Amino acid sequence: MSALLQQPGYEEERLQTVAEQLPCREVQAGMLLSLMGQPHQYSYPSIFIYGHRSSGKSHVMHVLLKELELPHATVSCVECVSVALLFEQVLLSFFGCDAASLLPRSPSLSDFVRIYRQRCSQSPAKQTRYIVMEKAELLRDTDANLLPALLRLQELVEDNVTIILLTDIVWDKFRPNTGCFEPLLLHFPDYSKGELQQILSQDRHPSYSAELYSAYINILLGVFYSVCRDLRELRHLAALNFSKFCEPLTEGKVKETDTHKLWRNIEPHLKKAMQTVYLREVSSLQWEQMQQMEKKENGALRGLSAHTHVELPYYSKFLLIAAYLASFNPARTDKRFFVKHHGKIRKTNFLKKNEKTSNHLLGPKPFPLDRLLAIFYSVVDSRVAPTASIFSQISSLVTLQLLTQVSHGDQLDAPKYKCAVSMDFICAISRTVNFEIVKYLYDFL
Amino acid sequence: MSTSSVSKGCFVFKPSAKKKKTLSLEDHFIHGCEGTENSEMRFKLCQDLWDTIKTDTEVLQDELNRNILDSLLDFTRKCSSTRQHSDWASQMRASEIPTAALVLGVNVPDHDMTFQGLSELLQQSVTPHVASVQAKECGALKHLMKRVLERLMGAVVTVDDEEEEEEVEQTSAQLHNSVHCSLSTLCDWYNTKSKKSYTGTPGKKRSSPVKDDPQQPPLVIIFKDLEAFNPRVLQDFILICSRYIERLPLMFIFGIATSPSTIQHMLPHSVSSLLCIELFQSLSCTQHLATVIDKFILTTHFPFKLNGKVMQVMISIFLYHDFSVRNFIKGVQLALLEHFHSQPLSVLCCKNKEALLNVMQLGHQDLERIRQLPSFKRYIEKQEPQEQVNLSTDDAHIKEVCQRLIKDLHKYHKNYYPILRCLHTLTSSLPRYPLGKQIRELHLICLEKNVWENEEYQSAMRLLKMLAKDELITLLQKCVEILQLAKSKNMTSALVQLEDVLAKFKQLDVVAAEPPPSVEDCITSPVKNLQKKTDLFQLQKALLEMNESRRSKKLSPFEILRNEAIEFIDGLVKSHLSPPESQTLNEVCYYTSSATVRRHLNATPRTSIQTALNSPYYYLQNDRLKTEDGTVSNAAPDICIVYKLHLECGRLINLFDWLEAYATVVSAAEGNNPDFDNFGKVDDVKHARFIRAVSELEFLGFIKSTRQKTDHVARITWGGC
Amino acid sequence: MSKRKSKDAHLPVGECITQLQEILRKRLCHQQLPDRPEGVEAQHKHLLELLKRTAVHGESNSVLIVGPRGAGKTMLLKCVLRDLLEETEAQTNLLQVHLNGLLQTNDRIALQEITRQLHLENVVGDKVFGSFAENLAFLLEALKKGDRSSSRPVLFVLDEFDLFAHHKNQTLLYNLLDVSQSAQAPIAVVGTTCRLDVLELLEKRVKSRFSHRQIHLLNNPTFTQYLERVQTQLSLSDDFPDNKFSRDWNASIETLCEDKSVAEVLQRHFNSSKDFRSMHMLLMLCLSRVSAAKPAIRPADLLEASKMCFADAKANMLHGLSILELCLIIAMKHLNDVYEGEPFNLQMVHNEFKKFLQRKSNSMYNFEQPVIMKAFEHLQQLEMIRPVDSSVVKTQREYRLMRLMLDHSQVMEALQKYPQCPTDVKQWAMSAFG
Repeated sequence: MSALLQQPGYEEERLQTVAEQLPCREVQAGMLLSLMGQPHQYSYPSIFIYGHRSSGKSHVMHVLLKELELPHATVSCVECVSVALLFEQVLLSFFGCDAASLLPRSPSLSDFVRIYRQRCSQSPAKQTRYIVMEKAELLRDTDANLLPALLRLQELVEDNVTIILLTDIVWDKFRPNTGCFEPLLLHFPDYSKGELQQILSQDRHPSYSAELYSAYINILLGVFYSVCRDLRELRHLAALNFSKFCEPLTEGKVKETDTHKLWRNIEPHLKKAMQTVYLREVSSLQWEQMQQMEKKENGALRGLSAHTHVELPYYSKFLLIAAYLASFNPARTDKRFFVKHHGKIRKTNFLKKNEKTSNHLLGPKPFPLDRLLAIFYSVVDSRVAPTASIFSQISSLVTLQLLTQVSHGDQLDAPKYKCAVSMDFICAISRTVNFEIVKYLYDFL
Repeated sequence: MSTSSVSKGCFVFKPSAKKKKTLSLEDHFIHGCEGTENSEMRFKLCQDLWDTIKTDTEVLQDELNRNILDSLLDFTRKCSSTRQHSDWASQMRASEIPTAALVLGVNVPDHDMTFQGLSELLQQSVTPHVASVQAKECGALKHLMKRVLERLMGAVVTVDDEEEEEEVEQTSAQLHNSVHCSLSTLCDWYNTKSKKSYTGTPGKKRSSPVKDDPQQPPLVIIFKDLEAFNPRVLQDFILICSRYIERLPLMFIFGIATSPSTIQHMLPHSVSSLLCIELFQSLSCTQHLATVIDKFILTTHFPFKLNGKVMQVMISIFLYHDFSVRNFIKGVQLALLEHFHSQPLSVLCCKNKEALLNVMQLGHQDLERIRQLPSFKRYIEKQEPQEQVNLSTDDAHIKEVCQRLIKDLHKYHKNYYPILRCLHTLTSSLPRYPLGKQIRELHLICLEKNVWENEEYQSAMRLLKMLAKDELITLLQKCVEILQLAKSKNMTSALVQLEDVLAKFKQLDVVAAEPPPSVEDCITSPVKNLQKKTDLFQLQKALLEMNESRRSKKLSPFEILRNEAIEFIDGLVKSHLSPPESQTLNEVCYYTSSATVRRHLNATPRTSIQTALNSPYYYLQNDRLKTEDGTVSNAAPDICIVYKLHLECGRLINLFDWLEAYATVVSAAEGNNPDFDNFGKVDDVKHARFIRAVSELEFLGFIKSTRQKTDHVARITWGGC
Repeated sequence: MSKRKSKDAHLPVGECITQLQEILRKRLCHQQLPDRPEGVEAQHKHLLELLKRTAVHGESNSVLIVGPRGAGKTMLLKCVLRDLLEETEAQTNLLQVHLNGLLQTNDRIALQEITRQLHLENVVGDKVFGSFAENLAFLLEALKKGDRSSSRPVLFVLDEFDLFAHHKNQTLLYNLLDVSQSAQAPIAVVGTTCRLDVLELLEKRVKSRFSHRQIHLLNNPTFTQYLERVQTQLSLSDDFPDNKFSRDWNASIETLCEDKSVAEVLQRHFNSSKDFRSMHMLLMLCLSRVSAAKPAIRPADLLEASKMCFADAKANMLHGLSILELCLIIAMKHLNDVYEGEPFNLQMVHNEFKKFLQRKSNSMYNFEQPVIMKAFEHLQQLEMIRPVDSSVVKTQREYRLMRLMLDHSQVMEALQKYPQCPTDVKQWAMSAFG
């Protein structure tokens, strides 16, 4: 396979090690190498590598640059809360910390370029310098000049430097409207099922045979491949469920060769994992504990979203209910629901033709404070004084994100809210104050 | 509940307890309080009481949080230890950030104490590196970073942005180790730190904990209020942290008010898959309240008492508005202060002996006050004429009497609470809880009136008379235990009697080794199947016809004994659970004005504004403002007049007409005669006053300017709230 | 005579290739200047004249070089400067200031940069200036030579000229152009921009001070010219150490360019874009395939390269989706068809998906809502769907309104390419109504 990785200017065995570390990515690695050319030769000013998450983009870059000992700076754009950090890291890894210290507080691009130039005039590049930017899509959120400038950095600093952008978003979404220096696009295709199989089989459990593990992986992929192709996720799942898979073996019920039995043993288990671990409903730690428990029955560990019950003060409950009604009922139906003697308005009367889609499909609508209070007063059984704590309860419901405030916080008169809780949540709440909410919901009439 | 309520235009009535914080509290207290002569003493009493309560609450808090905090600590230890040993499975987990989701319930005000305790415990027993952040101080990612780094490293961190620059400048001027705001710097710092501690020079105070891993204490970051955080910021932060997890043993603690599912709502899966979340549920605030009441209200330790109404107000505030125990205690504090502040005789509200001494100190005026007390009046009327005369004239005599009465009062309390608990233990297990599930409910009933007079009590007794033997015995056993704790004469005697009743029960089954099974089951069964019966009516019916059947057949020895036991309990109740109002001198210890408490703790800003505007006389007591209801005197402040006028308008108000009307009213006030030609003319002064009044109204949120008509304003309020 | 020695020297192939790579990469990646610019001789002459007048006779001037990206604006300018500096007088006299709109994002920075490039930091020291104009005037004043009364001519090169027009009331441009108008000091302002409407960006007072000289580089060569260009870019000059190799190479390049398929490919590129950059990219991709093993560019390489250039990124990404995600996309497509591109939320998509599942007997796809949600989020992360409102207003995620960023054809195409795509899903996608 190392035949793919041949490039003059590098030692053979280095390339060999590289090739070994990059299973199923030889083609891309080879491509990159040939683009990079020999260390002292110029390379294309900016290369844009895109591909799905965990398709080995940063891994390949990292291995190449590390193993071949090329001068490089790797920056993750998530980390760069300010451009200063970006500049600092680049200068640091190219010219050492004294260069980085030259940066003024809150430096501009021009400062960066200036320092870079002066430094590289002192120590000109014998080899191509590489700047790798992970999660490059975040560069778009920084100031507009940064991306175009980086793309033509080679020209700006007059140094043999190459920018490599890594992202999982296509280039079209990057291009500024006045255009810019077009980088060289390179696509890292997703791993095929076979490749996944091959890669996952590599990190096998030391105490079991490789065949067994790959068989296991095969089963795993059978369940999850249709949902998720993320290598990281799959590896995680594989690690967590393997012990369960091996149970019959350890208990000596089944031989390793009898894959069918093993399959029947693990299959439902994996299905369950889809609901739980895959969604991080239960943490990996708990998942393992569960498996221990299941040996002696009832591993009924509830996931995070199972814990939806919230204890609320009495009036807060009613406020929430009122909010729910207000945001899922059309305002004009309030009369029918909350006025004592509405003269027998039947649903058909106030059903508009265009209202075929239910509000529970469209989601909550915003409503003004007055409407909320009006409904609240008519819903709550006892007479309530409009005390300060009623209003503070509304705002604290907002801070608890059970309500969301639509209008701006600074606007005092007629603030608008939305109810942000699910149907079954509100049902549970209204059950505790025995108020059957369904009777008051327009969609369920 | 949350401070953001202020921004919603609610008024915050600072509890006057706040005064105690300020300097020269005593002066504040003494100034303008009833009966100044003994005010210093009262102040002292009040303060001592409050201090004891305060300390006790803190202790209570700690032991309530104890177990959950312990489990948290275990979790942190486990995580930090699992990082070390590397078996095949845990390697796979190594990439995840261990996270504790700490569900604390919606009583946000109480959380601070919990987190305080938590971080202290962590620092003592697990790791020196703990940083806790709040949502409101981390609007943007860089700020969150800054806070975390600062709190972990105790250094000044520079964030490169313009608005903060000068601030950063001068801070970094103060101390020089200002570093760049990135986790890599944290990494370096941590490595040096851990190395140092490894070589034996401990950076910070570190006790036993580090035994599990000498050089790798975890870095714990506490997010106090997860819901309030901006999800984007949180996501980015987690992403960054996950890149460093191999180098830094990071750990998160999420403080969650509502429910763990909010994590799933806030974070997309791509982020939540980086966390290894463990759940921790703290005990519910209602239990918390129960314990608090049990410790502070239902005890003789504190001479200061709340009467039924006040209790009712506070509990309802707790249950209906905020589940906050802290606020509840604040309420108690307020009541305490008010009591000592307004009631001169509260000088007697203290431990028995001091009280007796204080009685001796009482001056004539105070004694007069005593004579005026309704309860004391009642007492006097009960005495025969000669005694009455003595009491109303002879100060020395009345002092003796008072001492006796005070003693009685204390005795009353000594007996009241044990019996209350007994009754509660007996009734709380009955079907449908005739006397309430929580002891506080029973307590409220007893405070209101004679508990034995309401029919719930009767039905409870009837049910008790149908208990099976084993149940009854266990209950009585509990009662015995309670009474053993109490140490007053009557209680000990009661204890003795109760014990020999129990003894009789024991003998009973010695005598009749096997009682006729028929009787036994026909006795045991009913209550059993009553448990299943749900609605009250059925219950009553069942009881009635059970009594019928009872009449018909003769009673077994067990039943006889049971009845007398119940009678005995009933007797105890009747003798000891009379409401405090019936006690003489109860005013000394009981704080009664529920109105004050309500006004302070559960303010109604809008209504008070309305009253202020409608009848200014209510607030500024000026006779010129006194009017027959509905109208406002034209001498009232401008804003009142303007308000009154605007009430008569429709949704849109024409400013000019409004001004005209205002001018007429005001010039009438100035008393120039109507037929005078420039009557109601708008001069500059009036105009200015009018404008100011209108803008004040706008500020108060009654009107707002409208787009569609520039010379009009729109009403926002419609009476009501 | 060293050349003569190398003429008959025979280098091993690997060595030659290395040399070749080095030279060509310089051209393709580093934009090494050609000896003489092709196709733009007129403009070259014009600009050279202009600048010469400033450099030698001290006339002020201002000119804009306008042309689309990659048309060779900078190349032209550099060539001109190179040629200009060959004259000793210009060399001694002329000072250069290079500014770039990308770097000097506001006038303060720009002025600092000017000061620095004129080496006047120490002269300025820590003086404070009332206005920008004063400052600039001072700088220019400071350039006066001792003996001569006239100050040295300065050449200001403003790269990305249009960006400077966005600075706060265009102070820099105003002052520079003003100086160039009034004969305070001989300066030449040369701006390069890719915006043809650049003059509309200028304020009136600025515009009026600009000598409306524009040099347009709208290069639309004929295809034959394009071919020549390709050839020249690839072919080696005769000072290549190994003469034989270079001859072979050039010959191979010629044959390459005569090849039929190659011509087609180049035609396609020609039609899509005629500029240097895209051509360079294409050639670079070819060049990267040249190695000691195969020391020539074969037509196949070119085809490969062009395929890479023309690859549809979105299709590539779609190829990597899981079945579930693909199904969701199809559901969205149907929603788009039904509601004419109205935005949708997760609930609706899920509904649509459910409808599909109900029609099928074997339900291997019915996943829980959360699983679907996760897939949905992934799609959003890939920006294949985008929320309608900016993310500041926070609503529940299942109700967030979204738009599909793919069009009908892309989806269908992806479906065809998709590895072992289940037939029923295909049919569902085909079916007119979800």
